[in-house]
Amino acid sequence: MDRRIFLKFLGTNLISLSALMLCPLKVCSRTGFDYALEAQGFIQKREFAKAVNALKKAVAIEPDNDWAFGLFGRAYMGLARNAEAVAAFRKAVQINSDDTYSRMMVEILTQKPIKVLKKKERPLTELEKKAFQEEVSMADKMQGERGLGYKVNRVVIDAGHGGFDPGAVGKKGLKEKDVTLDIALRLQKKLASMGRIKSFLTRTGDYYIPLSDRTVTANQYRADLFISIHANASKRREANGSETYFCSEKASSAEAAKVAAFENSVIKFDKPYKKKAGFIDIEEILFNLEQKLNWKESGRFANLFQNRFKEKLPLKSRGVHSANFYVLRKSKMPSILLETGFISNPAEEALLKQAGFRDKIADAVAMGLL
Amino acid sequence: MRIKIDFTLFAAGLFIFSFLLLTPKISFSDADVSGLIFQGADLHHRGKLDKAILKFESAVGLDPKNEYAHNQLGLLYAKKNKFDRAFREFVIVEKIDKRNTFAVLWQGIIYLRQEKVDKAFEKFNEIIKIDPDNADAYYFTGAIYNFRHNPSMAVKYLKKARDADSMEAETHFRLAKAFHNMDMTANAMLEYERALEIKPEYTQAINEKGWLCYNQGNIKPAIGYWKKVLKINSRNRDAVFNLAKVYNELAWKYLISNRLKEAIDYWKKTVSINPGNKAAKYYLNKYKQH
Repeated sequence: MDRRIFLKFLGTNLISLSALMLCPLKVCSRTGFDYALEAQGFIQKREFAKAVNALKKAVAIEPDNDWAFGLFGRAYMGLARNAEAVAAFRKAVQINSDDTYSRMMVEILTQKPIKVLKKKERPLTELEKKAFQEEVSMADKMQGERGLGYKVNRVVIDAGHGGFDPGAVGKKGLKEKDVTLDIALRLQKKLASMGRIKSFLTRTGDYYIPLSDRTVTANQYRADLFISIHANASKRREANGSETYFCSEKASSAEAAKVAAFENSVIKFDKPYKKKAGFIDIEEILFNLEQKLNWKESGRFANLFQNRFKEKLPLKSRGVHSANFYVLRKSKMPSILLETGFISNPAEEALLKQAGFRDKIADAVAMGLL
Repeated sequence: MRIKIDFTLFAAGLFIFSFLLLTPKISFSDADVSGLIFQGADLHHRGKLDKAILKFESAVGLDPKNEYAHNQLGLLYAKKNKFDRAFREFVIVEKIDKRNTFAVLWQGIIYLRQEKVDKAFEKFNEIIKIDPDNADAYYFTGAIYNFRHNPSMAVKYLKKARDADSMEAETHFRLAKAFHNMDMTANAMLEYERALEIKPEYTQAINEKGWLCYNQGNIKPAIGYWKKVLKINSRNRDAVFNLAKVYNELAWKYLISNRLKEAIDYWKKTVSINPGNKAAKYYLNKYKQH
């Protein structure tokens, strides 16, 4: 006998055999199982509509009968109603996760477009009504711009140090915490007058905020950019100029790597992420992508601001540096750190003391954002 | 009862096997291929990736145009971190049939993994043209717009993803974030809640719900949400730092309104959840003598 014919013969007989084995003994009170069995017979005879009717009765009696849902899937397939078939196969898998056949059928059928089933309408909840009203009132704002350019609508401005932590202190007594706060306040004022970008401050007065609170503020206000303002210091009094830091996977210099390693060593949170073997985590792919895009964007902003400083400020440009800072790495938006000159350098301390110079710094940053 | 169940399972198994041999709808080229595919799918489900690969490789050897087998091979190679090989399988499928959106989607996902956002974006748009109801393509497009901080476009696509398939918690979560970015608080809250209905322990959604409340002045429920996250995972970094920040803020508020006792209580709370918090430690030390 031809192998194919034999297999077909075997298949036919297996169906009859299995049907016989499943045949109910009781006739009077029909169970869901009985209806499913009847449906199976209809499917064999390619009477799919009748099978669907029998299966409706089966699942009405036994809503957790995975076998019936599998049959439902087949019956709907026979009627070329693939969307319903997929829903039925999915239900079968939901009830019995080891149902390989139903899972396989879902995978096969969903490779190509299938019609979306209409959802049952139901009355709106209070929150849904409120959300609907909100959408109506925001209709104009919701007309988005296509294109993949990065948009900055909200900025969190971080004035470095504060309170008991003065930061670097100049020879004439100028404190970094006062310089950074003044620049931050000026920047916020400028952005407010320009109107397009909303800004938030991590601190508005002379008090200390831990590093973690600063990035949390950026996350709290869903900032598109986090700008941390600092002034530099060095044991060498002649060290001078401005520079910008950002977070990246690889450190731009050994010194930057050392700074990042020190920062990272104090972090004790989060269990290390263990990649599950033989599993693709789509959300992990998206998380890594978002992080890398943020780093890339941080680098772009860092260069942009450093160039503005070069153009607008009478300071030497020390360039842009990067390292893998744990805290910045965990921030959910591009983040940069501006070093606006050396407070330890007497000439630059004198400049940083001048309100006009601090205004120029704020101006350079604001212009960089527009 | 026990006997009936076993008996039923056995019979159902026989039926499935016989059905696989008979059904012409699945477009298997012959019974050997269908058998291999079924075995491959089962091995894949049980995590036996190498054995599953062997079965599907044999299947495509017999039927080189079998889209399902190629797609499964693509997934299996991706799971084995062989993304180039996986990509090739998905390209083969697309060449067999351009309407196989599953293969196009996975090409897009592999592009995302390679940080080729523009190419991924093109692939997802290609799918949307073929299948205007493809929830996955809308989801990834919306997610990309979220990454570019373009919330209105993210809302547009993620709403379509939600409407095409409302059972994915991640879709509701990303849509909530996009609404949140637009200050559409009612919609954001609704979508965070929908995400949590599907996945009650979705800590990211609970954390964000906390900020949504806090920024509207609802401090107590916000704190409640972050505490809830810590009950689910006591090392959740976001919840720890969110609470620490808010406790510090409240302590500061009490201090400047001369309510030192309450301020100290809040700094104590900060230190209890975030023992390394420099601000709380300093102020506790400074004011504890008073």
